[in-house]
Amino acid sequence: MKITIGHLYPDLLNLYGDRGNIQCMKKRCEWRGIEAEVREFQLTDPINFANLDIVLLGGGSDREQMLVCEKLRMIQKDFRDYVEDNGVVIAVCGGYQLLGHYYDTNNGRIEGLSLVDLYTEQGSPRLISNIVIENELFESPIVGFENHGGRTYIGDNRPLGKVKFGYGNNGSDGAEGVLYKNIVGTYLHGPLLPKNPQVCDYLIRNALERKYGSEELAPLDDSQELEANRYIVERFC
Amino acid sequence: MIAVWTAKIVSTVCRLSGRQGVTLAGRIALKIDPRILADLSSMVREKIFVVCGTNGKTTTNNLLCSAIESEGKKLVCNHTGSNMLAGVAAAFVLAAGNNGKLDADYACIEIDEASTLRIFPHFKPDYMVLTNLFRDQLDRYGEIDITMDILDRAMKMASEMTVIVNGDDALSVYLAMKSGNPYRTYGISEQVFKEQGSEQNGHEIREGRFCKNCGARLEYEFYHYSQLGKYHCPNCEFTRPEIDFDASHIDMSNGLKFEVEGRRIEADYRGFYNIYNILAAYSAARTAGLSLENFDDVLRKFNPQNGRMEQFVIDGTQVVLNLAKNPAGFNQNISAVMEDEKPKDVIIVINDNAQDGTDISWLWDVDFDRFAQESIRSITVSGIRCQDMRLRMKYVDIPSELIADVKSAIEARIKDGCGNLYVLVNYTALFSTRNILVGMQN
Repeated sequence: MKITIGHLYPDLLNLYGDRGNIQCMKKRCEWRGIEAEVREFQLTDPINFANLDIVLLGGGSDREQMLVCEKLRMIQKDFRDYVEDNGVVIAVCGGYQLLGHYYDTNNGRIEGLSLVDLYTEQGSPRLISNIVIENELFESPIVGFENHGGRTYIGDNRPLGKVKFGYGNNGSDGAEGVLYKNIVGTYLHGPLLPKNPQVCDYLIRNALERKYGSEELAPLDDSQELEANRYIVERFC
Repeated sequence: MIAVWTAKIVSTVCRLSGRQGVTLAGRIALKIDPRILADLSSMVREKIFVVCGTNGKTTTNNLLCSAIESEGKKLVCNHTGSNMLAGVAAAFVLAAGNNGKLDADYACIEIDEASTLRIFPHFKPDYMVLTNLFRDQLDRYGEIDITMDILDRAMKMASEMTVIVNGDDALSVYLAMKSGNPYRTYGISEQVFKEQGSEQNGHEIREGRFCKNCGARLEYEFYHYSQLGKYHCPNCEFTRPEIDFDASHIDMSNGLKFEVEGRRIEADYRGFYNIYNILAAYSAARTAGLSLENFDDVLRKFNPQNGRMEQFVIDGTQVVLNLAKNPAGFNQNISAVMEDEKPKDVIIVINDNAQDGTDISWLWDVDFDRFAQESIRSITVSGIRCQDMRLRMKYVDIPSELIADVKSAIEARIKDGCGNLYVLVNYTALFSTRNILVGMQN
């Protein structure tokens, strides 16, 4: 079995720790004997979504996001087809905002990909905090760190979790992130996946299921991951 | 004068009670007399230097101080690295005499980049050393773009200030050029690391890959580390400038050796990044017209005693303590550790207090896989976020032992280690770890 992970524009969207999400998916495949290939795409590279099983869209500064979003408009249709065909996407922070219709900043509007029915508006102050959220899909709470000026509104979509500590999508409605088809969008970095192995396995399982039909993942010894997770939960909740 | 006295008393009381009273003393002095920093700094007889940049500020500034002192000059310096407004005010106040007058030829002040806009209204420096710009504590400072914007405004506030800039850093150079300030450059024009795809700098995070002037992707002839190297823009006129102080004949086989302005410079330090620190201090002093005839002597005697590659001997174990607080700094630290080919134990201490940055995601931008070498006998993780650090090592398949308490971790490795111990710590762990090591050495 083999999974191909596409890392979109790591030169531009590579804020703190995005590499950790890639490394986590890769290792958790390899430890189970599943081959994992990581393909990095630069702005000028063509992307064939048919060859990808997981797409990672990371965070960047507003300026960098502006550069990326011009390019993304050119691949919008292919990306949309991939998503509607249950392609797995993990989008963090700036990448999460780009999933929606737009991000209104003080310097103008950044057009999004409209892959998910959501939008973002710049607010003040920036929401900077450790964060703990809960979703019954996952046994453990999901922990991470958030740092965003944007307030995201997801309408009737399912959130990734309910905020137990921290701010979440907009600091007011108690929701964090979004789940749509096989997309996970979230403000959580830290990076997200190493301390939340169940989220990482959720992505891998969905990718395997789409590619090979139903798949059970072999269990791994996650004691160190869960200890690190528990430390954050106990400290802040 | 009252402000000076009060500040001195506060500082003494705090020092006696064991606290670092510098910042508090500065804050009180400014409260009593808001003009105190402007007044005292205007008494500096010759020039005022400031040192800015993400990494290397403290070492560069302290070296510059030693170099200027060796010319027989008196100076003011914020040695402790308290580099925001209150800390800078304190440096001047505590250097003043009881008559409220300052007796100094020069001032050498390191300044936190974000504090420049608050400090420059009090005095306009004659020189600014700009060492480099890397990602650092995003939760405190925000993106590099924000830091660059602040420095740009600061440079424009002091338009006659000469900027001494690291010519190998496209981001710093762009700022210096754009500001309209006069500038001088230092750098390393020869390729030092031959295998560019190698572990030395293969997958490092690099800032500013895209030309700040036109947005095109910069092209590099080679990298030294992170984004430092020999670059040009293929699309516009932006290019690495002529280097005024060019280090050549770099030799790192036994300490650091290089040539600049036809002089041979030798220092018994480790770490490629220290060439930049030495070069920055040298270039600044030379730009100000100092002869630096005793520079070799300065380097020989220079012992920072502040946890920058500081050495201890404890029960026969050689211990080196070094600060590493962001990806670029940590990667250079790993290089420095690996330059020592002897077997060694490594302790990594990671805290997430406010001054460290509460966001520790940056650990995943550090190339820890380079510790997967025979000579690394053990890795011990410690400090408040030791769990995260253990996980970081796990995901490069390197096992580590977790001992949360720093003192216990050090004691364990001195007891059962191989006699050669490196302790790498981030900011707030530095002072406490150093105190532990000083205590154990005595």
